[in-house]
Amino acid sequence: MKSVPVKVEHGGKWVPTTMGIGEDRIRIAAPLDCEITYKSVVDLEEKKNQVVITAGTDNGQVCRIASVEKVLSVLKKFIITQASAYRLNAFFMSPAIRGGVLIQDARWEKGAIAVMKTGIWFVSQETQVCIPLADVADIELTSREIQEKNLDVVKIDHLIENEVVTSFVLCPMTTLQVLYNFLKEATHDTDVSEEIDPLTGQVAMLVYSGMDSSAIENMLKLSHKDLDAIYERLLGTGLAEILYIRKEVQLTAKGVRYISNAMKSSSN
Amino acid sequence: MGRILIVDDTMFMRTLLKNILFSGGHDIVGEAADGAEAVIRYQELRPDLVTMDVVMPKVNGIEALKAIKAADPAAKVIMCTAVGQEQMVKLAVKSGARGYIVKPFQAPKVLEEVQNVLSA
Repeated sequence: MKSVPVKVEHGGKWVPTTMGIGEDRIRIAAPLDCEITYKSVVDLEEKKNQVVITAGTDNGQVCRIASVEKVLSVLKKFIITQASAYRLNAFFMSPAIRGGVLIQDARWEKGAIAVMKTGIWFVSQETQVCIPLADVADIELTSREIQEKNLDVVKIDHLIENEVVTSFVLCPMTTLQVLYNFLKEATHDTDVSEEIDPLTGQVAMLVYSGMDSSAIENMLKLSHKDLDAIYERLLGTGLAEILYIRKEVQLTAKGVRYISNAMKSSSN
Repeated sequence: MGRILIVDDTMFMRTLLKNILFSGGHDIVGEAADGAEAVIRYQELRPDLVTMDVVMPKVNGIEALKAIKAADPAAKVIMCTAVGQEQMVKLAVKSGARGYIVKPFQAPKVLEEVQNVLSA
């Protein structure tokens, strides 16, 4: 078992320790002093320079481990290939479209997909991509031309730091259907059942494209009040959330006096 | 920063692209609402770059792209289409498109792609 330096979360603090990485388990030294077999892992989450491992089914043991990318990459590979998860061999392309721009050198990678409690993992020799289920915006069973043939694929739209990214999965139809059904079920919270009027739809499209409130007001010739009412509809239907509240101000008598004085002194 | 011609049959999309490109410091030299008008406007304006919708009435974007490339092989055209029509990419690339944008799009990525094509 190869031992590497890591930091683990313990009592709300990051504590330096060592972790042994074996073929079927990891062993973390004090203060955690524990052993986790990969097959007991039910969830793996990824954050910047750290992973969160959940092992066991009932109130599972949760371990936060921070380390360099090389160590985490080896650890993730062992876990994804052995964890207790729905796993299938597949080809994937991630990302294929980013922010609406087609990535021209995107290619299909041969690897495996592991569906865990909170996310989907794509793993190949060179890549490890995690799509948290909470960040999945849409799933579609569609077809795509691959090597001159029209083949069925699952298209997944997801968010990466507010950027909309599209990824594709290709595998035999029966497996694809299982994956699609699972993802549909896991993400049914984001299904849109509400009726959206065309103007609200246009505003949503402009927000998606990155336009701010004043640009939207100008483009659609809307008053501030009209736009506020549309924002309320978007908030009410759960299609949008408040980023920040901008203050609109007007000058008090004191403010007016300051400006008047400033103008006088600048004209003297 | 470039002089750009925007081609799309919907006013909404043209206005959106105009706003995005203008915010990126580009000069919008003209607009066209279909492929035939795009070819005429291209000859008149000789822009540095064209954003071209694929599905349009009269002459579609691919046909307009071919006509523009026939008249000016160095023309820089970015194709723009809706989700689900990505199959047009091959045809567009074969016809000389330099980039491809899928609607809906996000402003920073569009500006990045435009910049890439302009500086290529």
